[in-house]
Amino acid sequence: MSTVSTEAPPGADRTDGPRRSHAPKRRGPRRDKQWPAYVFLTPWMLGAAVLTLVPMAVSLYLSFTDYNLFEAPSWVGLRNYREMLTEDPRYWRSVGTTLLYVVVAVPLKLVLALGAALLLKSLGRGRSFYRSAFYAPSLLGASMTVALVWRALFNDGGTVPDVLGAIGINTGGWVGNPDLAVFAVVLLTVWQFGAPMVIFLAGLQQISPDLYEAAALDGAGRWRQFVSVTVPMLSPVVFFNLVLEMIQSFQVFTPAFAISGGSGGPADSTMFYTLYLYERGFTASHMGYAAAMAWLLLIAIGVVTLFLFRTSRSWVFYADEEGR
Amino acid sequence: MSEPHEGRRRPPRRRSVLAAAGAGLGTALAGSLSACSASGDSAGSGVTLTFSWWGNEDRAARTTQAVRLFEKENPRVRVRTSNADFGSYMQKLATQAAGGGIPDVAQLDYRQVSQYAGGGALLRLGGAVRDGTIRTAEMGADFLRTGTYEDEQYAVPMGRGITGFAYDTRLYRKAGAAAPEPGWTWQEWAEVSRKIARLRERSPDGRPVAGANDGGVNEDVFEVWLRSRGGRLYASQTRLGFTEDDLTEFWTLCDELRKEGAAARAEDTSQATSTETSPMGRGLAAADFTWDAPFPGYPALLGDHVHFAPVPTTGGKQGAYFKPSMLLGVGAHTPHPGEAARLVDFLLNDPRAGDILGFSRSTPPNRTVAARVAKTLKGAERDIYRYARRMEEYGLDAPPTAPPRGDVAIQTAFNRTYQRVMYGLASPREAARELIDEAKRELRS
Repeated sequence: MSTVSTEAPPGADRTDGPRRSHAPKRRGPRRDKQWPAYVFLTPWMLGAAVLTLVPMAVSLYLSFTDYNLFEAPSWVGLRNYREMLTEDPRYWRSVGTTLLYVVVAVPLKLVLALGAALLLKSLGRGRSFYRSAFYAPSLLGASMTVALVWRALFNDGGTVPDVLGAIGINTGGWVGNPDLAVFAVVLLTVWQFGAPMVIFLAGLQQISPDLYEAAALDGAGRWRQFVSVTVPMLSPVVFFNLVLEMIQSFQVFTPAFAISGGSGGPADSTMFYTLYLYERGFTASHMGYAAAMAWLLLIAIGVVTLFLFRTSRSWVFYADEEGR
Repeated sequence: MSEPHEGRRRPPRRRSVLAAAGAGLGTALAGSLSACSASGDSAGSGVTLTFSWWGNEDRAARTTQAVRLFEKENPRVRVRTSNADFGSYMQKLATQAAGGGIPDVAQLDYRQVSQYAGGGALLRLGGAVRDGTIRTAEMGADFLRTGTYEDEQYAVPMGRGITGFAYDTRLYRKAGAAAPEPGWTWQEWAEVSRKIARLRERSPDGRPVAGANDGGVNEDVFEVWLRSRGGRLYASQTRLGFTEDDLTEFWTLCDELRKEGAAARAEDTSQATSTETSPMGRGLAAADFTWDAPFPGYPALLGDHVHFAPVPTTGGKQGAYFKPSMLLGVGAHTPHPGEAARLVDFLLNDPRAGDILGFSRSTPPNRTVAARVAKTLKGAERDIYRYARRMEEYGLDAPPTAPPRGDVAIQTAFNRTYQRVMYGLASPREAARELIDEAKRELRS
């Protein structure tokens, strides 16, 4: 799946400026020593070219064609894009479902991850046990098996509707209810908050205890310390997690596939963008259309990421630029 | 999911257990052979064919056994077999076709014929049929036509299926309803369904029992309804054969019955993917539109009071037709077209192959083979054989040619669009318009 390369930690490019000014001076003597690096990089670069760049180019080409896997692709220009944007109500429904999911699942997951990280940080003994315990769902959760168990939990007669029913909230099976099915998927994702939690935990441990001491001396309570010390000091990590989770959420596939049995149902309520893309490509044999969808998704993720980077200037605080 | 013939569950018989054991060995051997296929091909003067199909273990065991017999008869030919469940088989075949070649002999779905033939992935079989390599004299000409695309034979039916109506005789009797006869009408069916709902019977989990499943999600049920009114699904490979009004009328009927409780609830319909999960299989409905091949699964699950009856008619006109449950085709790029055709012929027409394969793919299309195998049938399988004979006598219209390539997508769209009606997200007319728009886009190419 297409992923925008935001893997570099935020702020990594902040040092670009000064380094660049030295570059011309150094380039001369360095150049003859660079060839071993390129030799060692060759396998990776070949891999990147053959496994990533070429398929991407082919996919871009296919997005302008009508291709059903059996016959040679025929050029249709922008038809796929036009059809998607103007003639296909399901496309827009899948966009809506995915946006709803991103807007609900990402903040929920981050809040839970941060909460768990704060708890773990204040925990003395047994911290590593709980860390593993909270992380485990992230390892297991991506598997089909867990998604199927999840389906059983939320199905008619499953544990969740039964327990809710026992306390007077009659929801019926979530999986068969178009208003609730999407939230079964949301909960499955949110439950796997282990990865951002570990990153939050690392971030929390980076915050100097001096800051808390100073705040305490100034009379700040726990909440005040959290708002005035933890949050700003942690903001680069929050930003990093936010961008990463957002990109992943736009591409949610496995849980929706498993919970709806691949149909995106009931009534298209779990038809996420990538699931619709898959359906267009592999069930309906419209590979060109699917490729066009993939490119629009890439662009959309790029735009949202760019937007997040822009806004980050006003809320992400880096300790090394205090003078700003 | 869309394959209608996998619902069958029955206690394994001794013969099939033995066959499975034998086939297991055979598959293991075939597996090890396939690892060194290149050397296998070049070593002797022999020919290696590949043959793949989808289906359950019983079908796999029987098919492998029949293939071994073919190899014994043709010592020069070795057949490498592979099989999978329906969903993964469809995707694998599509990928193989895109990558340059499907197996020498491949089991095909009715809905794939146009797509694969039109895409040049299948060999024309007209010559082999005319020169008698593939014998078709024992098959109905109309039925054979289901394997054609643009008037050329590309595939040969491997089993003959027909839609029907599984119903609970106890509930029907309790409601004072007569057993469905070949001429019963859709109005009568709706009335009976309402009567059964009024009985207020309870399912095992305490919910009310509906009169029938909700046929609105099922393109097959719509087709039967449409044909009983003299219509058809497709006018050509690029045009629908019905109008927005037709579909609105059908969906309105289904919608009303569901709202009255005469048809199953939306949640139960949307989660039904097999005999076991169908509303009737879960004891939530008294009847289910289904195919003959999966029908034996119902009595196995619910008891002997479940029987197989004809689908309703419009003024006595039956919309059901004999449909190939699956077909056999030959890959366009096979290096051994002659041997491939011989294997096809052997599987379809050899009486010993017929004995081995039995009814594992519905009624064998070869009438002599079918009559021969029918003598050994018991219980529910005997019911469906008798039902097919009865419908033949009643008189059915000829089956349509293979549906256009867009039909795979249209079939799932049909289910999904009606779900919007079930959940109150669209009116029958809005949904009908939506489906027709989508179908037109699918048929355009």
